[in-house]
Amino acid sequence: MEAATLAPPTLPQTPTEPSTPPPDKKSSSGLAAVLEEIAAMLLLVGQAARASVTRPFVWRDEFIEQTFLIIRRCFIPVVISTTFFGLGAPGIQGGNITYIFGTVDRLGAFFVMASVREFAPWINGMVIAGVGGTAICADLGARKVRQELDALAVLGMDPVRTIVVPRFLALGLVTALMNLVAIVFGLVGGWIAAVPVFGDTSAGYLATFSSNFTLPDLLGSVIKTSLFGFIVAVVCCYKGMTVKGGAEGVGRAVNQAVVLSFVGIWAFNFVFTTTMLAAFPETGNLH
Amino acid sequence: MSAPSLAGDPVVRRPTAPARLREGLTGPVRGVLKEAGELAQFSGRAVLELRGVFRYSAEILRQVGILVTGSLVVVALMQFVIGMQCATEANYVLRGYGASAYSGVFTAWCGIREMGPYMWGYIIAAKVGCGLVAELGSMRINNEFSAMESLGINPMRYVVATRLMACIIAFPMIYLVGLAFHMVANQVIIVDQIGEVSKGGWEGVHWAFIRPVDVLYSEIKIMAMGMAIVLVAMYYGYTAKGGPVGVGSATARSMILNLVLIHVIGSVLTMVFWGLNPASPVGG
Repeated sequence: MEAATLAPPTLPQTPTEPSTPPPDKKSSSGLAAVLEEIAAMLLLVGQAARASVTRPFVWRDEFIEQTFLIIRRCFIPVVISTTFFGLGAPGIQGGNITYIFGTVDRLGAFFVMASVREFAPWINGMVIAGVGGTAICADLGARKVRQELDALAVLGMDPVRTIVVPRFLALGLVTALMNLVAIVFGLVGGWIAAVPVFGDTSAGYLATFSSNFTLPDLLGSVIKTSLFGFIVAVVCCYKGMTVKGGAEGVGRAVNQAVVLSFVGIWAFNFVFTTTMLAAFPETGNLH
Repeated sequence: MSAPSLAGDPVVRRPTAPARLREGLTGPVRGVLKEAGELAQFSGRAVLELRGVFRYSAEILRQVGILVTGSLVVVALMQFVIGMQCATEANYVLRGYGASAYSGVFTAWCGIREMGPYMWGYIIAAKVGCGLVAELGSMRINNEFSAMESLGINPMRYVVATRLMACIIAFPMIYLVGLAFHMVANQVIIVDQIGEVSKGGWEGVHWAFIRPVDVLYSEIKIMAMGMAIVLVAMYYGYTAKGGPVGVGSATARSMILNLVLIHVIGSVLTMVFWGLNPASPVGG
């Protein structure tokens, strides 16, 4: 549209784009294509990691802007989702199990497992991927379709440094911070189940929770969610920057990005939790 | 933010502070209500169009085929992963209570009642929901719906209702396959990997805590989630505007609503089905 008026002299084709990640060849198929895609994503991680620690730090303003944007978009979905999830699955059903054992106050201890270790991190990851990640992927995809990324390359600006790095860092930071919000509201949901529904005391719920809540649990949770954020960032940025075709292309890229992010989050979650439980078996003890 | 005033801009009286406060408080509420009303209207029309949808049964079958070939593998895979997750936590948590032998309670309820449906919701929202937004959105951007209308084909019936009917047909069976993978994963972790509970011990408890009607409730839960997801996704796709950017942002907005709806529906139906009667064959 406007690009036509902005470039009166036909620009010479830039011979080498400065470290643009998307390798546009999609000739191979099947397993080879999957491996190629994973390799390209890892390459993007490497480039982003290098660009985030080397000068010039041109990503600072965009980083703050993206952080605020993701928090604004994800805060309310995270709060609603974790409260309802905490009330339903671990609250009512977990309460049923502890009710069988005759210790509903142990629901607090159960929520260390449920909220801190499991559902707060991954609901948070899902929401960040589904809300923040899709928005980022759609944004980058639209830029790719309108050839803004090529324009950046022509201007000599590295798209990885100016676009990917701020989103990468913002998602890593925000996912870890939102995890704390998710834990708190998951506990609120559990409290609704324990006290009004099962008629236990708040003191019992809080006492068993706090006596079971250990530092490895919290650190594990925060580190895990931060890595979720990086997974989402890599997948969504990569998919957004390699969009082909018009409106269908962007839609398809967002679709693939969110499915891949979810798969990545869950697979990583299983590996991380199993490793953490094996490395810190005391987190499984009841105090 | 104070934008630099443009030359030739007519002098606009800024609204007073109370008016701005009122607008700031009521504006989002009004926007949400308006969108909810439009969504409800769209859903109602889509459901009404189901009456005459079988004249397009070829299209329905094609959509069922797309659902099965496109989503079955990822649903089964993710149910397997969440099954491993449930089983790991079941063993570690119940070991703390000194009741590892009752790991089967946890896996039975985790799979059928809670995490199976939730995982289903996440994957369907991501795979089918976002796919529908992208598909219908690009049809809208390319004016295909207008073209259909001018040809005398009702797009609400030919596009929306056929997909809805395909989902009604395919979802329960896809879910059952996923559930089977979920329980295979439970056994792999509890019996084979951790090995603290014997196969007979786990199976006895696991199946004792699942009634046939629980499977029915689970199906109702996933159909409620699935219908909500599909209708929301098709609404956002059908009303997309603004070129490629519009399709992308419609996808993002549909995911916000879908994730919230999944958790609200899951939690409410848990309370309806199992809140009053935990249906646990233990004690009195």
